[in-house]
Amino acid sequence: MRAVLINGSPKVKDSASAVLLGKVKELFGSRCEIEELHFKKASVSEEDMAKLKEADVMVFAYPLYVDGIPGHLLSCLMHIEKAGLQNRDALIYGVCNCGFYEGIQAEAALGILKNWSIKAGFIWGGGIGVGGGGCIAMLPKIPTGKGPMASIDKELMQMTDNAVNKASQDNRYANVNMPRFVYKQAAQMGWRQAIKSNGLKAKDLDRRPE
Amino acid sequence: MKLLITDIENFDIPQGDDYKLIKANGDIRNCIGCFGCWVKTPGKCVINDGFDRTGIDLGKCTELILVSRCCYGSTSPAVKMIQDRAISYIHPDFVIRNGEMHHKRRYDNVITVSAYFYGDDITEAEKETAGNLIQSIVDNYDGKLGNVAFYKSAEELKAEVTL
Repeated sequence: MRAVLINGSPKVKDSASAVLLGKVKELFGSRCEIEELHFKKASVSEEDMAKLKEADVMVFAYPLYVDGIPGHLLSCLMHIEKAGLQNRDALIYGVCNCGFYEGIQAEAALGILKNWSIKAGFIWGGGIGVGGGGCIAMLPKIPTGKGPMASIDKELMQMTDNAVNKASQDNRYANVNMPRFVYKQAAQMGWRQAIKSNGLKAKDLDRRPE
Repeated sequence: MKLLITDIENFDIPQGDDYKLIKANGDIRNCIGCFGCWVKTPGKCVINDGFDRTGIDLGKCTELILVSRCCYGSTSPAVKMIQDRAISYIHPDFVIRNGEMHHKRRYDNVITVSAYFYGDDITEAEKETAGNLIQSIVDNYDGKLGNVAFYKSAEELKAEVTL
């Protein structure tokens, strides 16, 4: 069986979506033949479309953008629907990571992918809403199933098992294993470091340009 | 000011200073997730293609009106790209509101968000998703919910929606 993993982050590198798909790939192991695609722009190349056409399973990993799917990825989904791929029994899974602590905030963004999968004629396999996505790409490499990603890894394990068995699941929600106030503090420190490294001051975060 | 973002080519709005219309077209570039609008040019997108000031416009408006094709329960790609490019309306820091993490306000204005969707085959599931999506945007903008309505075509929408 062939699984196509689609990174829907526009970031060329260091995206949480890439980390999550890396784990999905590891968890599929030798149970699937894996193809990896990265949709950074608003259209799907013919080469990528040909790979999607061969998929038994598609796993989309993408960031939450303004409570929904990033605009460029939405455009790619419309292209796929229009292409009318014939692999009608392909299962679609979604892993949406949000900067917020609560994975449930990805609910609408998973709903959009589900609605697409039905309209494009595929089968909805289910999704995972991942909370605390802001720190995922920054965490050191820790074995899957351990450390701050353990709860998320557990859901990814279940999802990949379901995908191998061609079984659908209800949406699941998980977040990084650290207290919410720690995550909030770390994010605020991160923004202050980032703005200072750009030669600005912490108070410039509050700017209201005219 | 009422800020209207639409993907309908020939959408007319009432004359006057009370409205600003942003037409979503194929020229818009998508957000690249760089967070420059928070940490390089705070409040403004770093991509200079004419769609870099929507975050500033949001800070001045009392109403945000999205007029868009309904795509799987979302606004259309072009409208969504404009929304994505305007996250500088909010501040990168987090606050907890109603038990959930959201972004802090950058501005004091409270926006009433309305969405008018069109499309000839909008399913009930898509309508439900769209309603949830707009409510989530309201929650994250710390705004108010206006109208969410669905029409079979852009023509029907234009004939029936009064701004």
